[in-house]
Amino acid sequence: MQNIFQQARGNVIPVLFLIVFSISLMYVDQRFSHLESVRAGISVLISPLRYLVSLPAQSGTWISEWFRTHNRLVDENRQLTNDQRILNARLQKMEVLLAENTRLRNLLGSSRKVADEVIVAELLSVDQNPYRQLIELNKGSLDGLYDGQAVIDDYGVMGQVIHVTPNSSTVMLISDPEHAIPVQFIRSGLRTVAFGNGNTDELEIRFLSATANIKIGDELVTSGLGGRFPADYPVAAIAEITHDKTHGFISARARPKARLDSSREVLVIKPYTEPVLEAKPEEETAPAQAPESASEQ
Amino acid sequence: MIGLNFLVIPLSLVLGLVLMMIPLPEWTEIYRPDWIALVLIYWSMAMPQRVGLWVAFISGLFVDVTLGTLLGQHSLALTIIVFINLNFHLRIRVMPLVHQSLYVFLLLLINQLTVVWIEGMMQREPPVMAYFGAPLVGMAIWPWVFIALRDIRRKAQLS
Repeated sequence: MQNIFQQARGNVIPVLFLIVFSISLMYVDQRFSHLESVRAGISVLISPLRYLVSLPAQSGTWISEWFRTHNRLVDENRQLTNDQRILNARLQKMEVLLAENTRLRNLLGSSRKVADEVIVAELLSVDQNPYRQLIELNKGSLDGLYDGQAVIDDYGVMGQVIHVTPNSSTVMLISDPEHAIPVQFIRSGLRTVAFGNGNTDELEIRFLSATANIKIGDELVTSGLGGRFPADYPVAAIAEITHDKTHGFISARARPKARLDSSREVLVIKPYTEPVLEAKPEEETAPAQAPESASEQ
Repeated sequence: MIGLNFLVIPLSLVLGLVLMMIPLPEWTEIYRPDWIALVLIYWSMAMPQRVGLWVAFISGLFVDVTLGTLLGQHSLALTIIVFINLNFHLRIRVMPLVHQSLYVFLLLLINQLTVVWIEGMMQREPPVMAYFGAPLVGMAIWPWVFIALRDIRRKAQLS
């Protein structure tokens, strides 16, 4: 028995050390980014498990594609060809407009980002943390991804990349309680910030002045302020407006355009950077860091 | 002394991690038992000389990366409950399974409270069931976890 009590007492010092150590780890992880490489290292170790876990869902889609009937495929093909034709027609118009737009902008002497490159990535898993809204993608720094890139699906903005490992990356959705995205109303041009609140079908817009010109159905696009999200991508539409009588503010709830809970293929945007050095230094640092962080890992 | 048989310990921890990753409908998330905690409680009870604080701490780091929480959040919680368990393991080992389940519920609750409080410190408000849901489910499955791991341990002839 003596031995056992000694053992228990012998554990006190290691446990105190580990408690202090984990608290300081959390502090450093919260405030600084020094631990990114540790996180990336562990993430690489568990990435086979992530693939393993996502296998059943993926094989489900393979099987359903394999057994699809001929008729349905023909129908689908016809439908897609039609869509393609319509989209092409629209695109022709778009290109003319784009060219015209650039020409006019050149005339005005204001240069502006024209087109962004995208990388197609697939959803690997959704992080099982009930307090956060994070997803894992199957592309990483080897495919040219880096921290801070915007992620969209075919309907609108989904979120931004927050951690990259060589072959996978973590994306914080715009509905994460820690996320805020600078937006602009298309109709009124009003600029504001939309916060996530943990629900995939809701964004919050807080503290608009009581006289703000908004109504239900207003479309929000990214404003491009802050330099994280490129401008003019659709974000959400206003679904509900609340007047806060006591404080004289308006707050609103918006429904995200992107299908945050069901998109499987997403696009990671590689912002088009001007060769001319007109951008602010802050905007410069984000793309410039990319090759460094890629070589680090 | 460390032979191939000892691989069952890390393998059971890896299995626990996989069980924590498997996608389930969103509303079930707060009821998902902390599998790693259950596995660690078993091994630190059965083989305290092999599975101790450091194993708990490192497993916690893996859980943190898996769940996208702060590095150290689950390490802290798991270290605390394994420490408590190391001090009581001789008394708990001989208890009937039902009594053990109650004790395991307490440990899981401490684990959960630590994690939820840290979330709360970062201004994220968890639902009330986040405190009790997972520990209750954990308590309910403890007897099966215990029996399964005990049989594995006996097959692997670890003592």
